[in-house]
Amino acid sequence: MKRHHSVRRSRRSVFIAGAAVTATLALVLSGCTGGGAPSGGANDPDAKVTLDFWNGFTGPDGPALQKVVDDFNASQDRVTVKTNIMPWDTLYQKVLTAAAGNSGPDIVAMSASRLPQYIDEGLYQPLDDYYENADFESEALATAAVDASMYDGQNYGVPVNIATMLMYYNKDLFTAAGLDPEKPPTTWDEFADMVPKLTVDENGDGKPEQYAIALADHETVPMYQPFLWNAGGGIVSADGKTSELGSEGSLEALNFWVDLVREQKASPVGLAGADADKLFTTGKAAIEIVGPWMTSGFNDAGLNFGLAPAFAGPTDQITLADVVSMSIPASADETTKQAAYEFFAYWNSTDGQKTWAEGSGFPPTRSDVSSDITGNPYPAMFGAPDVIDNSQVLLAGIAAGGTITTTIFEPALQKALNGEGTVDELFTEASKQVQAELDK
Amino acid sequence: MTTLQGAPRRRVSRKAVTAWLFLAPSLLVLVAFTLYPMIQAGYLSLTDYNLIRAAEWVGLDNYVELFADPAFWNAFWNTVLYAAVVTPVTVVLALMLAVFLDRQFVGRAFVRTSIFLPFIVSLGIIAIAWTFLLDPNIGLLSYWLSQAGFVAEQGILSDPRWAMPAVMFVGVWKNVGFYMVIYLAGLQSIPEELREAARLDGANAWQRFRNVTLPLLSNQTMLVSVMALIATLQAFDQIYVMTHGGPFFRTETLVMLIYRQGFQELRFGYGAAISWVLLIFVLLFSMIQYLFFQRRQVKY
Repeated sequence: MKRHHSVRRSRRSVFIAGAAVTATLALVLSGCTGGGAPSGGANDPDAKVTLDFWNGFTGPDGPALQKVVDDFNASQDRVTVKTNIMPWDTLYQKVLTAAAGNSGPDIVAMSASRLPQYIDEGLYQPLDDYYENADFESEALATAAVDASMYDGQNYGVPVNIATMLMYYNKDLFTAAGLDPEKPPTTWDEFADMVPKLTVDENGDGKPEQYAIALADHETVPMYQPFLWNAGGGIVSADGKTSELGSEGSLEALNFWVDLVREQKASPVGLAGADADKLFTTGKAAIEIVGPWMTSGFNDAGLNFGLAPAFAGPTDQITLADVVSMSIPASADETTKQAAYEFFAYWNSTDGQKTWAEGSGFPPTRSDVSSDITGNPYPAMFGAPDVIDNSQVLLAGIAAGGTITTTIFEPALQKALNGEGTVDELFTEASKQVQAELDK
Repeated sequence: MTTLQGAPRRRVSRKAVTAWLFLAPSLLVLVAFTLYPMIQAGYLSLTDYNLIRAAEWVGLDNYVELFADPAFWNAFWNTVLYAAVVTPVTVVLALMLAVFLDRQFVGRAFVRTSIFLPFIVSLGIIAIAWTFLLDPNIGLLSYWLSQAGFVAEQGILSDPRWAMPAVMFVGVWKNVGFYMVIYLAGLQSIPEELREAARLDGANAWQRFRNVTLPLLSNQTMLVSVMALIATLQAFDQIYVMTHGGPFFRTETLVMLIYRQGFQELRFGYGAAISWVLLIFVLLFSMIQYLFFQRRQVKY
């Protein structure tokens, strides 16, 4: 009796256990997806294509981008572009793992300065045939915007936007400091004279309530690096082979600015880009050198601000340009690529650029549109010839660009700003590290 | 006769099969999500893998490189510092809290729950909350500290002297509740007669604690110390959110370095090599701890 009972029970428990194993196995295996996607192949001009477009325009410029995409989708019915907007940090981390799997994007927007690192790893395919096709009107595009996505002799991207940095200054804070709100500083020395008036520490606790400028030193669009250019220095030479970080011009610029920030407290130390924006938005900093994406945010905050080219250094007045380019993963097939080209052409057409510039305040990627933009005053300012023609992208076409910025330049700068060594020592050492990276 | 001899063998093997089948789901998950990735990481650590292209064999180059890499040693010593401070602080604090909360008082349940609560909330989310609290311009904690005379001009998390203490604090605060609960359970298992006997012998509170309570808690102390050490050697979440390893790598721990090398520098092979070094290191220290506590174990 007992044995019969236990046989039945253990048979049932074996069955239950077996079912549990199968269920778990199914669960585990369903999580594994096959890698590798078909690439190459012929173009099918009649196929309906849906393109997954990843980008980081989470700010107030997002709706303008969406409008251009919607207009493109409405203008024809073969290609549909779907945007997938996420913060830039998330995009940079996800794009690699997504491209390695099967569910990756078809078009990726990325800062042109970050492209070389991913191209080097084999993520993207060259798009030279886009520029060779006269129908796409690529000669109308700004040279800096097109050249920013060049790597190793081939072009891997098509411009999404070119953003130049201008100096935003708070006119009310200038008036309160006894300075003329229509006369922003035009040189470094003029600015240095204004710092004692614009950095205000009323209660004397060593922490100013108001700063003259908000300079971010990490996780930001580069704010310190352009100063090096304007004193005749830089980080890497034009041919990308030699480090210039320890050169005379670079050290002069760094010494000037580190002293100004440390001794005169012209700016807080340890700011991330978002913190710098916050500081200016809340009226706690009188100046910020940043791009056109902040105009609507500042306007919404009710700031009375003016725009002018950033103050000139001893030798130059080069503006920083940040170019965002669209690229196509290497795993995309020919049909997808040609469909993406149609979107690229629409984005950079006169209609597309007009909608984009008016909605976002960014200068258009092509200069023949500027006169048509009436609804928004900012594209004309950021796209003014003396700004755009005198602009430069940081570390363009250098595969180690991202590494140099985040692991060599920024830590050295932060150490200097925290007083952990002199500028000369820290940056001569950093220059050697940059050279080592370039030689790899 | 043969049936009687055969039956025990058949029963045992069926039980064994059943046991294995019941263990199988958890074993499968463990193999799939812990053992297999470990082995694959071991293989990757001998290659030069970047996720897009096929892995190229490089042998022990990654290991040779990491032992000469100043970034590795910086992360190593930061990790050791973090573990050396956070582990004893957490364990001692958990013990103290357990002893204080062992006695009855009004609101005891509320206090116990509020100390335990951080343990079950995601560390990433807590770290975001702490980042706001410590923000130099809008942070409540920064304001209170400045009122008390402590002004960190660029914010505590950007100050090279205070960034590490800040992340250590969050690390302690998060886990102390869990270890406290373990100690509370241990305290409750100590027979009251032993403490009574000690009191009758004239021992004061501290002597009772040191000679009766503490030795009887050694099982819990071993458990808590080993868990705490393993967790602190892998500190990552709050560091990633609060300081991202900064300022200038002052708070970068080994796991933060592995993340940076793997996902930012795209050097998965190198990151895998560092993670295996960490694994060996954690194993070594856990074994040392275990052997240390072994002879002090309370045996029933």
